Amino acid sequence: MYGDTVVALSTPPGESGIAVVRMSGREAVKILSGMIPDAHTWETHKIHKRKIRGTDGNLIDEVLAVIMRAPDSYTGEDVVEISCHGSMLIITELIEELIARGAVVAGPGEFTKKAYLNGKIDLVQAEAVADLIAAETRLQSLVALEHLGGGLSRKVREVEDKLLEQLSLVEVSIDFSQEDIETWSAAELTEVSREIRKKLRSLIESEVAGKKLRRGIRITLLGPRNAGKSSLYNALLGEERAIVSSIPGTTRDLLRERIHIGGFTFYLEDTAGIAETGCEIENRGISIGREAARIADLVLFVIDGNSGCEAQEERELARMGHREVIVVLNKKDLGLREDESKVSVRLGGVKAVALSAKEGEGLDKLREEIFSRAVMSSAADLSRERIALNARQAASLAEAERTLEKLEREMDKGAEILSLYIREALEACGRVTGRAAAEELLDTIFNRFCIGK
Amino acid sequence: MLKKDKKAPGFSVIVIGGGHAGCEAALASARIGFDTALITISRADIARMPCNPAIGGLAKGQLVREVDALGGEMGLCIDEAGIQFRMLNRAKGPAVWSPRAQADKKVYHRRMLKALREEKNLTLIEGEATAVAVRNGKVEGVAIAGGEGIGGKKVILALGTFPNGIMHIGEKQIPGGREGEPPSCLLSDQLAGLGIERRRLKTGTPPRLEKSTLDYSRCQIQPGDDDPVPFSFRTRRLQPDQVPCYITWTNGRTHEIIAANIDRAPLFTGQIKGTGPRYCPSIEDKVVRFRSRERHQLFLEPESRESEEIYVNGLATSLPADVQERILRTIPGLEEARIVRYGYAIEYDFFPPHQIHRSLESRKIEGLYFAGQVNGTSGYEEAAAQGIVAGINACLSIRKEPPIFLDRHQAYIGVLLDDLVTKEIDEPYRMFTSRAEHRLLLRQDNADERLMKYAVRYRLLGKELWEEMICRRRRVERARRRLAAETVPADRCKGILKEILPEKGAQPRLATKLLQIPGVDLEEVESVLKDGPLGLGEREREMLRIRIKYEGYIRRQKKMADKMLRMDKIKIPSDFSFEIEALSAEAREKLQIFKPENLGQASRISGVRASDLSILMIFLERRNKQEQG
Ligand SMILES: Cc1cc2nc3c(=O)[nH]c(=O)nc-3n(C[C@H](O)[C@H](O)[C@H](O)COP(=O)(O)OP(=O)(O)OC[C@H]3O[C@@H](n4cnc5c(N)ncnc54)[C@H](O)[C@@H]3O)c2cc1C
Ligand SMILES: Nc1nc2c(ncn2[C@@H]2O[C@H](COP(=O)(O)OP(=O)(O)O)[C@@H](O)[C@H]2O)c(=O)[nH]1
Ligand SMILES: [Mg+2]
Repeated sequence: MYGDTVVALSTPPGESGIAVVRMSGREAVKILSGMIPDAHTWETHKIHKRKIRGTDGNLIDEVLAVIMRAPDSYTGEDVVEISCHGSMLIITELIEELIARGAVVAGPGEFTKKAYLNGKIDLVQAEAVADLIAAETRLQSLVALEHLGGGLSRKVREVEDKLLEQLSLVEVSIDFSQEDIETWSAAELTEVSREIRKKLRSLIESEVAGKKLRRGIRITLLGPRNAGKSSLYNALLGEERAIVSSIPGTTRDLLRERIHIGGFTFYLEDTAGIAETGCEIENRGISIGREAARIADLVLFVIDGNSGCEAQEERELARMGHREVIVVLNKKDLGLREDESKVSVRLGGVKAVALSAKEGEGLDKLREEIFSRAVMSSAADLSRERIALNARQAASLAEAERTLEKLEREMDKGAEILSLYIREALEACGRVTGRAAAEELLDTIFNRFCIGK
Repeated sequence: MLKKDKKAPGFSVIVIGGGHAGCEAALASARIGFDTALITISRADIARMPCNPAIGGLAKGQLVREVDALGGEMGLCIDEAGIQFRMLNRAKGPAVWSPRAQADKKVYHRRMLKALREEKNLTLIEGEATAVAVRNGKVEGVAIAGGEGIGGKKVILALGTFPNGIMHIGEKQIPGGREGEPPSCLLSDQLAGLGIERRRLKTGTPPRLEKSTLDYSRCQIQPGDDDPVPFSFRTRRLQPDQVPCYITWTNGRTHEIIAANIDRAPLFTGQIKGTGPRYCPSIEDKVVRFRSRERHQLFLEPESRESEEIYVNGLATSLPADVQERILRTIPGLEEARIVRYGYAIEYDFFPPHQIHRSLESRKIEGLYFAGQVNGTSGYEEAAAQGIVAGINACLSIRKEPPIFLDRHQAYIGVLLDDLVTKEIDEPYRMFTSRAEHRLLLRQDNADERLMKYAVRYRLLGKELWEEMICRRRRVERARRRLAAETVPADRCKGILKEILPEKGAQPRLATKLLQIPGVDLEEVESVLKDGPLGLGEREREMLRIRIKYEGYIRRQKKMADKMLRMDKIKIPSDFSFEIEALSAEAREKLQIFKPENLGQASRISGVRASDLSILMIFLERRNKQEQG
């Protein structure tokens, strides 16, 4: 807690579409240089535009970054500020990357605390700084309680209970080896550890960051050939990625790209058009498209608004059932056979948006519609605390997971070593639940085992 | 109470209580060079073991080694008084090996008494201390029943289970400090009058049996180790004529009798109010709480070569005498046993240790130290550890030097002291290896490396042992470097690993890496080294093995310890006010009770969160700056 390099999001996301991630501490410049190789050569207080990639080599975002060297910074330490797109995914990825490289998530009021300890804030303001820390702590536990619904905490507690049980078996074999009581076995410990890792993985993916938000909301373009799906795909991307042609069946593979709308990240997928054809390759493409649509978070069902909807397409739409769908009436520039409201009514209340992929008219309306659906589904997530918490929790659970992996690899090492790993995993979990489970060890032992002479 | 006369006998340090804490305290203080008095109720009961006739055991063995490395007496005494030596956990990693020995209680007492007598700065006084003299919040001396008071600059209280002790055998309640000894009530009451909080705890002991009435042929024999290892770094050779112990078990019939008489057990009738240790339950407790257990293990341990008494380890009880008799009739080998003394439970006062500094000095009364059972601990070894620390600190305080500070990563003693001032004691506190987060660092084999420097600094030990240890360490380090620099060729590795790793053996490996593979012998690796064997003695080879085995882990633990140490270095002044509104209510309350001396201690108090520590840091900083002006 003292002397750590800390990181946090310093602006709420979603407002301006830009988020600022701030890092402070001795290691700040070094950590940044791990991601941007020339960063250590930067002049202080100068802004640089760079691409940031994750350890896996994938592009996280193109960002504006600045180093403010000590002591001329808010905290009095080396400070790095990174401005990125204000999307949940990007922010979470960026913060996780910084954590993986040695930063720790800032505690409540930590930047201000550092500023105070480094003499950047007037002495007499101690109470104010302390109040800020206390207030942010309360806020954080509120967020943890409400948004994480105690659900995550409860599940991690279950993991802790299992670990604690194994730890007590291992410890009993050390501290009470003279008693004739049951003890741990490598086979059981391995099995429990594996199970727990599986659980942690699914928690990290589903609960912690929200699966959807983590990989971005998935949007699939579906519809008959030549309706203009690829054209719309390119238009939303702002660049020519898909081949557009009047030859039906041009798109056969699934194309996927990341787009940002209003601070959210989406994955947009272009598919082959639906048609009854004899071409094997095309049929394959069509079924890939349908599969993609089936698991998508949102389907844009594109039809040629000029020629209108045919019975076959209506059947296709009906097949999607309750899925989130927006019907896009394309080629508005050529004139519409039916207007949006008529189509909507005929199709049973599905939202319809008319636009021209070619001219760009109506695109903004579509973006708005996409955005509002995203917000509806995850408005609650749009808080700074949520992101900070997410990053910390994901990092902590991932650490527990890694520790258990090591435990399994070193199963032949003896109780005193295995105990270290189990304790470490418990500590990592404890950062999510706020529980110091290892302190319950002796209670667990005395409750469970008949010990003592 | 005290003679005003300047010539009244005055001591630098007065120790009250000749138990395991008191003896170490008095010896340390006298050896450091201060004239010391040890007042104890009866000379014949000095260093008496009222319970188990054994010293050491898991975690406790490490404590004895540490006390010894600090120049204490316990290790030497048990090396002479031991009648059976075993290294526990020998089948496990060396980090958790613990020496244990059955003690001849009579020999142990005589050996300790001899050490006290031979100490030239030490005066033994037989009598009951009835009060400590305090003026202006500072201790001045001690009053003794029926005699004159004596003056003293520092007083160490090591009263054991005597303060308001009450013994229970069934419905019978007898005031006493232990079997056959009176309690000490006046002193405890006086301390309470001075505003020192006291609470009750309880512990118990099993019946003692007459050896000739036991049938060992119906029990399982448990011999000592063939190559007994001494406790003391100063003991060169140990040649005990070892005596075996025996094991037997209770059974369903035993449990039936206990269950049928549970309404006569003081533990369950409400007669006993103090809390007993969960790790040392009475047999009635075990039977009630673990109904499904078909049997409980009992160890039959001799109390002394000179007596016929056998201690029944595992059968602690305060059931009425007739029930104790009937229980024995059901146990194989004990059917005909004659009880020499009945088992009993004892309730006593202790003084919750949030009232002392980590140095063991009272927060309220300057110069008054608490050591041993009075702090809520239990066990001879725990007592001795506190005793030697209190003795050293009393002397350092006279010299106006800061107290000895053993950290959690330095010694089990450090863990013990730190726990005492940060944890709530709601049952007698006993050491376990699992209490130490840096267990791999705190081994019985390296207690000298960790602590002997202090003994040398305070002149509790001469330099020779310490110098030997340094040389040993250097030789081991040189050998380790050699191994870390030498690659063992593939064919040699294949040979060494042919049974352990038949498939993957044939590749060149660093000698240290080779040794980290479980099952690889140091001797074998030595035999293939380019420049021949390492030329180390047995103890050094052991050290080398341990260092290589735990290499990476020890490094990690040291790193963790360093991190913790950073927090421990942020001191909290003793007059610092925790009345800070921004702190969480729970943290504020706990901090005011425990008054931590540094941020690390604060962090180990339950209920104190990271944000509370941040807030403390802010206010500590303000204070520092304000003081600097
Ligand atoms: C019945 C019983 C059962 C126990 N069971 C266990 C057990 O199962 N496990 C375990 O670990 N420990 C057990 N113990 C505890 C163990 O004996 C103590 O932890 C250990 O002896 C404490 O050492 P000490 O130096 O603090 O006190 P003690 O060894 O008790 O020594 C106290 C000394 O102080 C003297 N004294 C007291 N008051 C005065 C006074 N006012 N003036 C002068 N002298 C005074 C006494 O005469 C005595 O010599 C038991 C103790 C008893 C009595
Ligand atoms: N006029 C007009 N033509 C369009 C529009 N969108 C697509 N087209 C044309 O329709 C044809 C098929 O487009 P494409 O995007 O390849 O359709 P896909 O098969 O659904 O991917 C191309 O010739 C496009 O130029 C539009 O909004 N207006
Ligand atoms: Mg296409």
